[in-house]
Parts: sequence; C-alpha cells; structure tokens
Amino acid sequence: MKIIETSRRRFLKSGVALCVYASNLDAITCLPTYLTQPTIKSTNNIKEIPFLCNMCRNKCAGIGRVEQNILTKIDPNPLFPKSRNMICPKGNSGIQALYDIDRLKYPLKRVGVRGDGKYQRVTWDEAFEYIKDKLVDILKKEKDNRSTIVSCNGEGFNKDEYIKFFNGKIGSSNFLDEGSICLNTKLGATILTIGDIGEMDIEGSDFVLIAGANRFESLITPDSVDLARKQREQKLVVLDPRATVTALKADEYLPINPGTDLALCLAMTYIAIENELYDKSFVKKYFKDFDKYKKHILDNKYTSKWAETKTHIPAQKIEKLTKEFFQAKRPLFYLGRRSVWSNNDFQLRRAMVLLNGLAGSINRQGGIILGKPIKLPEEEINSPLYANARERFDLDGIIYGSKKGGSWLNFREKIVSNNAPYPVRAMFIRKHNLMQNMPNVSKTKKMLEMMDLVVVLDTMPTDTAIMADIILPECTYLEREDMVVSFGKLEPSLALRNRVIEPMFESKSMQDILKGLGEKLSKPLFDISKEFDEDLQDSIKELGEKQAFVEGGYDLAELYQKDVTQRNRELIEKNFGKEAYIMLKKDGVWYPNIKKYHREIFNGNFEYYPKDERYYTIDKKFTVNCYLKKLAKNGEDAMPTWRDKYDFKVKNGHFRMITGRYVTETQSATTNNIMLRDFYQTNHIWINNQVAKKLNIKVGDIVEVESSIGKIRIKAYPTNKIHPQAVWFAHGFNSKSFYMSNSYNNGANDNEIIEDKFEKIYGCATMHQTDVTIRKV
Amino acid sequence: MARYAMAFDYKLCINCKACEVACKEENGILLGADKHRLWINVKEPSGNFWDLDRDDVEYMPTQCNQCENPPCLEACPTKAIYIDDNGIVRLHEELCDLIQLCIKACPYDARYINSRENIVDKCNFCADTRLDRGLTTTACQVTCPSKVRIFGDLDDPNSEISQVLKKRDYFQLQPDKGTKPKLFYLK
Repeated sequence: MKIIETSRRRFLKSGVALCVYASNLDAITCLPTYLTQPTIKSTNNIKEIPFLCNMCRNKCAGIGRVEQNILTKIDPNPLFPKSRNMICPKGNSGIQALYDIDRLKYPLKRVGVRGDGKYQRVTWDEAFEYIKDKLVDILKKEKDNRSTIVSCNGEGFNKDEYIKFFNGKIGSSNFLDEGSICLNTKLGATILTIGDIGEMDIEGSDFVLIAGANRFESLITPDSVDLARKQREQKLVVLDPRATVTALKADEYLPINPGTDLALCLAMTYIAIENELYDKSFVKKYFKDFDKYKKHILDNKYTSKWAETKTHIPAQKIEKLTKEFFQAKRPLFYLGRRSVWSNNDFQLRRAMVLLNGLAGSINRQGGIILGKPIKLPEEEINSPLYANARERFDLDGIIYGSKKGGSWLNFREKIVSNNAPYPVRAMFIRKHNLMQNMPNVSKTKKMLEMMDLVVVLDTMPTDTAIMADIILPECTYLEREDMVVSFGKLEPSLALRNRVIEPMFESKSMQDILKGLGEKLSKPLFDISKEFDEDLQDSIKELGEKQAFVEGGYDLAELYQKDVTQRNRELIEKNFGKEAYIMLKKDGVWYPNIKKYHREIFNGNFEYYPKDERYYTIDKKFTVNCYLKKLAKNGEDAMPTWRDKYDFKVKNGHFRMITGRYVTETQSATTNNIMLRDFYQTNHIWINNQVAKKLNIKVGDIVEVESSIGKIRIKAYPTNKIHPQAVWFAHGFNSKSFYMSNSYNNGANDNEIIEDKFEKIYGCATMHQTDVTIRKV
Repeated sequence: MARYAMAFDYKLCINCKACEVACKEENGILLGADKHRLWINVKEPSGNFWDLDRDDVEYMPTQCNQCENPPCLEACPTKAIYIDDNGIVRLHEELCDLIQLCIKACPYDARYINSRENIVDKCNFCADTRLDRGLTTTACQVTCPSKVRIFGDLDDPNSEISQVLKKRDYFQLQPDKGTKPKLFYLK
C-alpha cells in the first residue's frame, strides 16, 4: 500500500522546505531538504566496522562505513549465517536512529507532572543521587523487600546483564519483558511438546505452510530471507484474514476467519490420522500418548466439513492441503514468530508442533531443528540473598508462564486494582515503551502514576520516557560494544557487536549506566539490609562488616569492574582461542572452520556450512508429548481442542480488530525515523472495500473506531485485501510525546482500543479479541 | 572500463524497501518524494476478498535503464549528459540548467529534480559513490534480502550478469523505442 497525500510531509519541520516543480511539470510539490547525512565522497580515511543491528530484535550483521567519525553507510556483513548477507530497510536506516535529532542527549529530571514533558537537564551524578535518595526511602518503608523495585527490558541484547543487576544484585524477584506481549505461547508450546524451542529450517523445506505470520512484511532472519529466495523452488501456502504481501506472494493463499487457525489444524490432524497419512515409524518412536490424541481427534470428528464452518475455507481445499502437506518430502508447518492473537493461541501452537511431528518434521532437514548451538559459558557473579525480598506475583493464576519475563497484563492488573501482595513502588524501564506496547494504555498510565520512582533508560523521548522521574540517555547500538552472542542451532556462529562510533552527547552504554548506578547504590542499600536483614546481621557478626559485604556480593557494580571489551577478550580467548577473538573484532563473526566453509555461491548468496556439516539431525533423545497433565489438572485442555467460545462471531455492524505492522517499522521504536517515515507517513485502517462502499468510506476519510475501552481517529484505506468482518491497522504510531517530532500525534495507536485480555496458560495478551465499530467522521 | 548493467530476478521481490533506503543513504537522496533514483512498481490483486485474483500481483523494481541510446542525452540542449567509460549515463552537473527536456524525453520516467543540487538527477549505478571508491556493487543490489538484483559487466563473459543472461530468458522495458536499455528482467 502506498497512499500519497498532499498533507503527508509531517517531517518538514525537521528539514527545510523547498517548493519546486515536480517531474510531471504541472504540480507543485513541497520537498524537504535532506539535512541528515549527505554522503562524503572521500576515499581516504574510511573505517569499516562490523556490528550487529538493533533496529528490531532480530540481530543481523552489518558493516558500518565511518568517514571522519560519521557513520555514512551500512552494508550487510556476508559472514553471518543468520542474516544471509542482507540488511533490511530498517537496518539501512539505523543511521537515522543514530543521528535522530530528537534523541535523548543528557540525563533529565522531571520538574512537571508525569506526562507533561517538563524536564530539567542534570548531571549523571545528580541523576544517580536522586535515584539513591528515593530508593533508600522506598526500601526503608518496605523493610528491605527488594521486590518493591520492578525492572523491565524490551531489548534482546544485554537483557541478561540487566536481569543480573536488578534481580541478582539489587535482589528483586520482579522482572518483566516483552515476551508476554509477544510470542511466549509459541515458545512454551514448543518446549512443552518437544522439550526444545527448536529452530525452523525454511531453507531445507519443500512445502511451507504459514498461518498468519507475515514473513515478507516482518522480516526475520534467516526465515524471511530463505522464504523470499526460495520462491521458485518451494511451495508456500498462507492462511490469513488479510492478504498480506506474504499471502499475495504465496503459491496458494487461503483466506480464513480470524482466530480459527486451530480448527484448520485439527481438521488436518483428523484427515492425516483417518487416512493414515502420517509418518508411522516416527510417531511410534517419538510420540507419547498418541493413542489418546488419535482417539480425541477422531471422537470429536474434526472433519474438513466441520472445519469449513469454522474457518470459511472450503472442505475440499482443506483435504487437498493436508494431502499435499503429508506427501511433501520435508513439509514444515511454520510456527510463527509473532504476537499472541487469540485466546486459543497456546493450543494452536501445540497443534502445529504436533502436525510437524505427525509429518516426521522434527530433528530433520526442513523441519523443526534441535541442532547444536555454540555454548557460551556464563560469567559468574556473586549475588546477595535478601531475606526480606518477596516472591513475584505476576504468574499467580497463570498455569505455566515465563519465569523470566512474566506476564505484563496480569502484573499491571494486580497493581492498578490494588491486588498486589505488597506495594510496588519503583520501576526501572529500559528500551520498553510501555505506554504504547500493550493493550489499554490508560491502565499503563495509571500503573506508572502509582509509582514513587520511575526511571527510564532509552535512546528516545518516548511516551514512557515522559512518564519518568529520571531519564537516563542510553547510547544506541551503534555506539557500544556488547558481549559476544551465540546464534543459531543449524548453522551456529558467534557474533560480536563492535562499537562503530563513540557515544554521542552524554549518552552511555547500559553497562556504564549500571556501573555508575551500582557504585552509587551499593553502600546505602547495604546499610538498609543491615538494618532489616537478619541473615546479613548474622553474617556480619560472624565475618565482620567488610567481609560480609564482599562475600555476600553487595558490591552492585562488581560485574562492570572490567569493561565490555576486556570481558569479551577474556571470555572468547579462553573458550575459543585467540584467533576467534581477532576475527570477531575484525570481521564480527566466527564459527569453527569459517574460513574453510564460507563461500559465495552466486550473486551474494553464500554457503556458511556445507550441507553435510549442518546440524539437521542430532543424536538427542526427545519425545513428542500429546497430552499435558498439568493443563488437565488446571481445568484446561490437555490436548488441542476446539471450544465454542473460539468460534468467530462478530455482532452486526462490528468488526474484529486485528493488528500488525508495516515492513518498515519495528513497533513504536521506528515510527520517528525520518528515513522510514518516507514510506509510511502515517498509519491507515484497512477496511474491506465492499463494506466501505456501503458505509460511504473512501481512501483518506477520517473514521472513528471505538471499542469497549476507548476510541481513536484514523484515516481509512478501503481494500479488497481484508476480511469483510475485520479491520486492521499498523501498530506503533501516534506518539503522545511531543519530543518525537515525526511520530507525535500522527496516526493512531492500536493499544488505545485493544482490550486488555490475556490467556491463562502463559499470561500473554491476546491482541485479536477486540471488536470495534467504525464510523465516518 | 566496463559495460555495467543490471538484471532483476524480479519475481523474488517482496517490496520491502531495503533497496530504496540503501540508495538514499548511499547517495544522499532527498526524502519526501516517489521515484527518486529507484522505485518499485506495484500491481495489486483484483476481485473480492474471498476470491482474490493474484495473477497480476507484481513488484517490479526499476530505475534508469542506462540506455546505450539514451533519449535524454539527445534531448539535452546544454550537452550536460554523457555516457561514461563504464557505459553509465552521467551528468556534468555544472552544465545542467534545469531545462528538463531530459525528463520529458525519458520513456522510463527515471529522472527527477534534485532540489539540493539544482540538477536533474537519476540512478547512476552508484558511479560517483561506490564505483568511485573501487567497489563493484551498487547499494541497492548488495543489501537486497531476496537477492533480486544482479549487477555486473556485460563485456565480461564470466560476470554473473553475463552468465545469468545466457542461461535465463528475460525481457526489457520498451525495447521498441530503440533505446537499447541495460536493465534486464528475468522471466
């Protein structure tokens, strides 16, 4: 979709507007002058520095070209197996994230009320001092219950280090991340069914079935790239209530009712079992409780005719699809990598994993790979044990849940309804735009307003940042070295994010921020434990105060005594040798035999491992679990089951609200990026063209969209590419922070109308369970 | 010395915009308008939602065709346009008076006004950026996720583009205009 409107040049104010004649010579168009980085056409003094991208959570390898200390271009790094020698539109525009004029430049202290955006510039020490005074006060009030301090982190890199600081050193049991507003049901369903999160081998499959995941407009490596490059050789079938680019490019597109993919999976299972299409030797060898599953599926009569009534896909097509899937050599039912949509999401993912199992597509080429990742040893850290720190509560009432990232909606609900077992008073938020990222923004606002202390670490003045008491400017991914990371199970490698340029303004890396904070907090927080913690008091009696402090691990900055460069060198040289370290610093990527294996095949397509050296099949015991007792005990279905409540029903005049994103955006993190703003100046709501005609809604008309929790206004985009009873618009737009010059007040934020419902198995927000009305304004 | 050209395995294109961003960053292209240097022609499906006709759906990358017989060159009264040693249609910027006859003459709609330099601009295969620095790749080609673009020297029989044009069928845009375009679309 490309909608050109004369009013679209919102970012003009950050450039200089010039009116000139456009190429058709009859219209006057205003063009902004590109003020950011005209290329420097020099050949001297160019530095090329390998790094890992962070424009989304995917991590592709790039090479930054630095001229006169300015990053002028990003190219793909051909050595990295995962990213397949490509940089996507977002990765290419990382330069504009680095040089975004709206970036946070200095530590800021709030002087107005939360949300009004009034801040005063302070020094780093003043910011830390303020945090210290607040925390001392809070922990005294809470008698050293460290869990009153909550931390959260929405960025994949450095997350473990962040957890080590707040959970380990500070001692809170409350940490939250994006998993419960993202894909935890998929991870959980895979682990509980086959004991591993696996890795999907699209490259090796000859038949890929995708339900809803929009791989061509939400690029994930290597999945999206392999799918895009294999279009000529591999059959791709896509189910979706919206004709996405992935659906349009597929060999077969099956339009489907929202939230009914599970019914299709059950019918496929029924057909496979009834016609004995499945891989019998695989099932016999690996399946547990298959007889139970077989009986369950057959007894429930999940026939193709039954599924037609649920999904709107003709029975005949379901039969044909199932036969093709099971007749393929290496079929893959792609498990997705996307938000949790419907209340049956966990069961859907289970049914998909089981279908892969029925086809024998686990631990083999073209299926779910168990593989052999390169093991990176953990750096040891001595964390104090706080006697008064209480348990986390966000998983209360959740059957499984992620013990790491928890459940945001359950957590928030307990806070705002005053049902938390103890007061939560402080929140440290890193790269996690809570005010835009989860359903029902008003509740998030209320939660933040209830805090005695809110600290935000970020690169941008987001909606969440302007709710903070202290804003700490972190440098971008291009201005820091991070700890080496292990990637991949099938073609494993290590990759290192090198520092491309020095941190700008007064920004610092997360490690440097935590080091400063740790040094400031260690002694005062230790003194509080000394007052309230009987275990520590005993330890002091026994060892003396100095020794108790050291042995107990109360030096909060301990992990950061050495800088990241030194830690990387020690870790890599010790475990993988000097040559590995040299290569990671110089080329950004290393794996055993890289120099022998890595070769170009044709036109930028590389082979990273010869086929017979890839870990398609490994010698590992695993079972495919059909029946999960714990679910049955908790009143949930132990096997994938259809329930009436899953039926797709929308009241007359209502629409199911579904959400997603443009290929150029990563949620709210990129909507201020001036380069990406050039493609989608604002978001539009997709509404079926025939429905729109009846409602007299035309392209660009402003419509009001209302759900039970709120209403928004947005421009309309009538199209034949969406289900008549669904509407869609891209997530991440309409920042309320006026410091975000390009995204402020532009478009609509889906989370102002998406109801805050969550499923009970993983505590994940279900994004597609809201019905809305729509009217032309 | 080369005869640079580009082939497109265009059916692999997913319209992700990586090429456009890479081009803009490499060449410092003005933001805020369509069809600056390179763009993707999009054809949408027809029919109603439950029965979409996707046969016409197409994402077709395009840009200056680097014609061997460029009508823009003929049209320019100030002789600002020339073909360089690599067969790339270039501009003597100081000679361009923005008369814009080249814009009208181009059958591919590849030319536009660069309001920063006050010249008529278009794709030049990164001649003054990447090629000048000794690279043999263009920004759009090297970054492409599906590796749609194959860039190289037609005079070199071993180049990837020569190889692929030998092996695969292709078509060109408006060859009847006699422009001898150097963009090749692989069937």
